[in-house]
Amino acid sequence: MRLRIRHRTTYRYSSPVSENYNEVRLQPVSDAAQDCHRFELVTRPGSKLQRHQDFHLNLVDHFYIPGPHESLVVEAQSEVTTTGVAARLAGAGFPMSRIGECRRIEGCFDFLQATPYVGLDVGVLRLAQEAASGAEDAWEAVLAMSGFVHREFSYDSSATTSNTTLAEVLVHRRGVCQDFAHVLLGLCRSMGIPARYVSGYLHVGDEAGWRGNLATHAWIEVFLPGHEWLPLDPTNNRPADQHHIKVAVGRDYADAAPLRGNFKGRATQEMAVELEIVRVEASGGARPSVEGGSCFDVIGS
Amino acid sequence: MGLNPRAVIDETEVEPKVPTTPAAEPVSSWLSGYTAVGGEYDEVRGIDGGPQPQYLPLFGELDAFDGAELRRRTETAQRIIHEQGITYNVYGDPRGMERPWQLDPIPFVISAAEWRVIERGLEQRAILLNRVLADCYGPQELIRSGALPPSLLFAQPDFLRACHGIRPLDGVHLQLYAADIARSPDGRWWVLSDRTQIPTGAGYALANRLVTSRVLPEAFRACRVNRLAPFFRELRERLARMSPRPSENPRVVLLTPGPYNETYFEQAWIARYLGYPLVEGQDLTVRDDRVFLKTLSGLEPVDVILRRVDDDWCDPLELRNDSTLGVPGLVEALRAGNVAVANSLGSGLVQSPAMMAFLPGLSRSLLGEDLLVPSLATWWCGQPGEMNHVLERLDDLYLRPAFRGGPVAVENAGALSRAGREALKDRIRFQPHTFVAQERIRLATAPGWDGTRISPHPVALRVYLVASGEGYKAMPGGLARVSPDPGARFITLQRGGSSKDTWVLADGPVDELSLLQSSKQSVELRRVGNNLPSRLADNFYWLGRYCERADATARLLRATLLRFSPESSGSAMPLLEPLLSAMAAQGQFPSLSERPELRTNPEALEAELLAAIFDGERRGSVRRLADQLQVLAMTVRDRTSNDLWRVLSTVDDRVTLPPGSPVVLAGEAVGVLSQTIIGLAAFHGLARENMTRAQGWRFLDMGVRIERCMYLASFLDHTLRSPEADNPSLLEAVLEVADCALTYRSRYNLLPNIAAVYDLVLLDDTNPRSLLFQLNQLVKHFERLPREKESALPSPAYRHLLSCLTRLRLSDPRSLLGLEQNWHKTEAGEAIQEVMRDLPKLSDAIAVSYFAHSAISRAGSSPA
Repeated sequence: MRLRIRHRTTYRYSSPVSENYNEVRLQPVSDAAQDCHRFELVTRPGSKLQRHQDFHLNLVDHFYIPGPHESLVVEAQSEVTTTGVAARLAGAGFPMSRIGECRRIEGCFDFLQATPYVGLDVGVLRLAQEAASGAEDAWEAVLAMSGFVHREFSYDSSATTSNTTLAEVLVHRRGVCQDFAHVLLGLCRSMGIPARYVSGYLHVGDEAGWRGNLATHAWIEVFLPGHEWLPLDPTNNRPADQHHIKVAVGRDYADAAPLRGNFKGRATQEMAVELEIVRVEASGGARPSVEGGSCFDVIGS
Repeated sequence: MGLNPRAVIDETEVEPKVPTTPAAEPVSSWLSGYTAVGGEYDEVRGIDGGPQPQYLPLFGELDAFDGAELRRRTETAQRIIHEQGITYNVYGDPRGMERPWQLDPIPFVISAAEWRVIERGLEQRAILLNRVLADCYGPQELIRSGALPPSLLFAQPDFLRACHGIRPLDGVHLQLYAADIARSPDGRWWVLSDRTQIPTGAGYALANRLVTSRVLPEAFRACRVNRLAPFFRELRERLARMSPRPSENPRVVLLTPGPYNETYFEQAWIARYLGYPLVEGQDLTVRDDRVFLKTLSGLEPVDVILRRVDDDWCDPLELRNDSTLGVPGLVEALRAGNVAVANSLGSGLVQSPAMMAFLPGLSRSLLGEDLLVPSLATWWCGQPGEMNHVLERLDDLYLRPAFRGGPVAVENAGALSRAGREALKDRIRFQPHTFVAQERIRLATAPGWDGTRISPHPVALRVYLVASGEGYKAMPGGLARVSPDPGARFITLQRGGSSKDTWVLADGPVDELSLLQSSKQSVELRRVGNNLPSRLADNFYWLGRYCERADATARLLRATLLRFSPESSGSAMPLLEPLLSAMAAQGQFPSLSERPELRTNPEALEAELLAAIFDGERRGSVRRLADQLQVLAMTVRDRTSNDLWRVLSTVDDRVTLPPGSPVVLAGEAVGVLSQTIIGLAAFHGLARENMTRAQGWRFLDMGVRIERCMYLASFLDHTLRSPEADNPSLLEAVLEVADCALTYRSRYNLLPNIAAVYDLVLLDDTNPRSLLFQLNQLVKHFERLPREKESALPSPAYRHLLSCLTRLRLSDPRSLLGLEQNWHKTEAGEAIQEVMRDLPKLSDAIAVSYFAHSAISRAGSSPA
């Protein structure tokens, strides 16, 4: 699927602010499962954009606006082709009995740890053991845990905020895709399965049967030796595929947040997001499908 | 010094000077009763029980003193500490935020030979830790080769991923390093902990030296003690060399978390000693990946930051989002290589106790040598063998969190119940990597003064090293910390405890260098200090405004209380109304239109008046203003004298009623207000007589002038609107509030006349309380402001000022005569209204021009 994405975030401040420093992770990745052809980022007021790669190799654009201003618009436009083919499990998974070997694989170190959002304790471990229901294969265990999360947790966009931690989600068992992802990360890591957070977009067009926030989305990837990183969307309890546009990865939401910033001024801010994902047909005709921005608690404020 | 009964008895036993240890010849009467606590090493007794040679010269000198003399010298030490303002902030101590520094005058003495061993051992350790840091923030070969377990790095909150790949200049992460060391019972030195993030306390060591060398000058000379200054010179040279910009005079700043930090005194002290500006995060800004200091004359580039802010708080953009102490964009500026930070961001990684367990192995693999000074035996439970060892010996070990923010330390697992111990073991087994266990040790003792005699006290020593060339140089000395409690295992200054100077004896000539006394060197004479950071100008400005507001409020309240009499409240009301409504207009008093019952209920009115003085919760009350003054004074503490600070503390004390104190009478309140006014006058007097006419003073005085204009104008507007405006009684009140009654009486031998009174309070430019005088002063200040001088046209702020001034000058107070009402519609009245309208704009314009790039909270708001 070739998709055109326009993602505009508008901040309005109750009084003028200055020294507004921001970093954004908005450029879709190019990897075996998707290809990002084009990416443009514009801010209003205008700014000089710079970029670097962070520790998890995400592309980070950063900019600052020094003078006083009352609003800030960050608009990213990109065009991506998703295949959803590469990240499929081929052949057998990996035995749980040998999962401890992951602790010695370099790229996995970070994704077995507790983090501020994903705290690990005995309670999480017990939940993971219950959810995995004795699966002997790691991928089976992950699928069982994903099913558990999908079944036992209800989707509720008013229950949590972007600051909600795993421990808090476990209390009420409600939340949005970010929370579902954090829960499954916690379950996987407790079992010794390396798992990382993915932020991105979900494009389902007019297809029915999808749950969750149809705009900015979050899911996870697990690592199994011999299979690299396998994506899985606990909110919809299925592997991520051509509907998912991957943007950034990290240990948890904090590492992969699409926008974060910091300004000076005694102001409160209001944030609005407009997101438009248009399917660009191979023949050239575009079939628009607009997904509105009710996703703010996901992006964070 | 407290004399407890037990200590007195001990002294009488000592008095006869009979040697109690016949084996060793007593070299000093002070040592005859000195016996080490059983089991631990003692610095004087050593292992053989005899007085150690390094202590002989000291005790030889002390022999000349009796108890009274040592007591006197201890008191002198306390006095110097008080005068120098040497303090230590204790968290969670509401009133006594600043605690005087505790110093035991008897120094800790180390011989030259022994010092060389310590110095070499710690230098090796600093080099090692630096290598580990360079690897963790670079190639991570230690993880790959298995020398360090991955979770030791990746599970640590102190591993800052944003800083991975940033290579500090010369590859040196630790410009400064400190280690806490102590002796084991056999007299060997051990490292208790490493300080790599922010090695604190070097400034206190310097302060201890300053005090002790003055209190015991004879002994200090006789002992030939190595000086501390060469260490600080080395540090200054080192930091200058770090500058990424080739420059003769690189700009180095000391980044402080602010006056509420526990070691703020030390930070201010070091900044002054090394000649660096003391800045907060808000004072710095990043533009185009370069760091700048915001000053009154614009942005000035910063090359090197010596930080006292924890690394993860240093950049709210890439590190902790909730930090208000940092500088957004700092990490990116580091990445671009445009600024240097000491110690490097992320260097806290290697001070975790878990790291200590690996240092012996790392030393062998990285340096090819054994650790010269061993670490306290440490087991990291992240390895199965070590965990089992810890589980078996749980009761003998001290269990600590392996990383910052980890589980709570368990000092003595043996004291736990059986169930508690099992639960603890389960927690260890579940997340073993978050625990370390260390050998429980008892600290060695050294002689200290306990008020009546010299006795052994547990001591640990913090030693400081600075990077120099390929290696490190140690400060010959250090911060010796003393526990009040015999048999102590740990010493934290947060929980009490004292400190000592550390004397490292010289075996060659003593380098007499001092950074403070350059009396014989030629200096370039200067009449201006370094450019004032905008934030400080902002704080001075508001200090001036609050001070004046407190003064004006106290005067208005005093005038009101003097005219208020519960018996004749009805007849006095028309005269009181303009006074009350002036306060209401400032939000300091309920408006009479909303609370009409105050007109007829004298008790309620009196209660309101008293609340306007003493109620700390009430907006604009004298008490509240005094509290706010203290907070503001704290922020400019570094730039003002201690006396100014003390005066403001007494003002606050006067209006603070102890809880549960009896009801204050109106008459007493008048006395309190008068004292407040006198206290504030003392503040103004000190400011005028002690502060150089530099930018700080200028902004303070501008604050005073603007506030006085605004308060006076508002008050006069209300009195002119009163139907009683020409009533001599009300005019009397005007003179009193404006503090002009005496002048009036000396000039006019008649009852107050409206034209004469308003001429005096508005237009008399020889009267320092008149409105015109304030505006004239403001014009003088404006002409000397940095950027005001450079522009051809007056700035918007200056225009407001000139227009007010012209309007006021041209008004004629005689137009007030012969009217029956509507006095406020005369020229004089309208000039007052213009001042009320335009001066807030002036204040805003000052904020925009001079503070805007720093103002976060207060700019543009009026005192509240």
